[in-house]
Formats: sequence, C-alpha cells, structure tokens
Amino acid sequence: MTGAFATAVIAVALVMVVWALAYAALNRQLDHPLEIGVAVLEVLLLVFLVGGVVQMIQSPLPFPRWEVVAYLLGLVIIPPLGLAWASGEKSRSAMIVIAVACLMVPIMIVRVQQVWASV
Amino acid sequence: MSSPPGNVDSQPMTNSGFGRILVALYAIMAIGATARSVFAIATKFDLAPFAYTLSAVAAAVYIVATLTLARGDSGSRRIATACITFELVGVLVVGTLSLIDPDAFRKASVWSWFGLEYLLLPLALPILGLWWLRRSRPTR
Repeated sequence: MTGAFATAVIAVALVMVVWALAYAALNRQLDHPLEIGVAVLEVLLLVFLVGGVVQMIQSPLPFPRWEVVAYLLGLVIIPPLGLAWASGEKSRSAMIVIAVACLMVPIMIVRVQQVWASV
Repeated sequence: MSSPPGNVDSQPMTNSGFGRILVALYAIMAIGATARSVFAIATKFDLAPFAYTLSAVAAAVYIVATLTLARGDSGSRRIATACITFELVGVLVVGTLSLIDPDAFRKASVWSWFGLEYLLLPLALPILGLWWLRRSRPTR
C-alpha cells in the first residue's frame, strides 16, 4: 500500500496527466495510444485494489477498513469514468477531463496512504 | 476550449466545452462527498451529527448539480441554477462559521474552511458553475 508499487502507480498516473495535457495543448483528439495508457493505469489500480485488500485482511492492525476500500474503489472507477465522459466530446476539454481524472489518482493514493499510516 | 459557434441553437450546452470539465469536477466532488458522508454517518454519526449531516447535504447538492449540468436541457438548467446557488450560499456560510466558531466544527464537514481539504474546489465550483450557466445560456 505504501511501497514501490504505489509509487509506480503514481508515476504512471502523472505521465498520463502530462500526456493528456500535451494533447490538449496540441489540440489533438483522443486516440488509441492514449486509451491504452489509461487502460494500463486501470490495470495497475485493479492490482492496487486487490493487493490493498489482501494486505489489510492479513494485517492485525485496526485499519478503518471501509474507508480504505472506498478509496481503492474510487481509484478504480475514476479513470474509466473520465475516459467515458471525455469520449463524447470533440474539443480539447476532453483531454483536460482525462488529465483531471488521472490527476485524482496520485491525490487519492496519497490520501489513502495517510489513512493507512495513521493506524 | 469553447465549442464551435455553429451548433449553438437548441443544443444542450452546459455539458460541452468548458462544461465537460466542470461536470467532471462536480462528479469528483459528488463521489468524494458521498463516500465521506456515508462513511461518517455509518461509523461515527454521534460524534458530530451536525457536521456529518452537512456533508450529506453537500453530497446531495453535488450529485444533483453533476446530473443536471450533464443533461443540460432547460429544466435541468433551472434546477442546476437553484442547486448551485444553494451550494454557493452553503459553502460561504459554513466556511465563514467554521472560521468564526471553530469549536462548532471541530469535526470537519466538506464545506468547512471553504473546502480547503478539497483544494478549495468547493468554493471555486459554484462560482464557476453559475458563471458557466450564464455563459452557456441558449441565445433565442
């Protein structure tokens, strides 16, 4: 939850933010590589969800379990929602929507790590 | 960032161009505030009933604003305007009270300190929302 994997997920998410913002600046539309990038991030977040839940179940510490699960589920649903919402739009706003959705990932990971570390 | 001027007439406008981003930000606040208030009310409501009820109200406001801005027809615009006006008043009143009387808000609600915990998004959103509703008004 607080290890290298989380850092890697944050790094990938930040790459996606920069990528989407670059597309917005260049006025480019959603394309296949960008979709694959979001998909890769999504796979990492699913692993993060499963790994986090397993780690929590195995630990004797009294984590606020539902709060952690809520963050992990939120992380999993936000990028695909952002992609879906962006795909209906043909202006550069679409890319900013994807950037915002991906930016939520590091913010929420840091928050859930704070919750995790406070136990 | 604004949508092309060709298709302005009778087109639902609150959800395109800048509105696309606005709806995304409202959706994030809706998810955040809903999760927060459900969790708080389910696990520790007695600690601060007022603050947690307030968070639930804020969550409801964000959900309605997200859906109505995303729909963007004339009925939705009316509901969105009322809802976001309420949101602006709410965040200003709660934000001010939380500064004047911190004791009453020792357990934070979403709108405490003007939503500082959410990067002041709760203060910025209703202002942007009302501006956008004016800006995207269909020209007759």
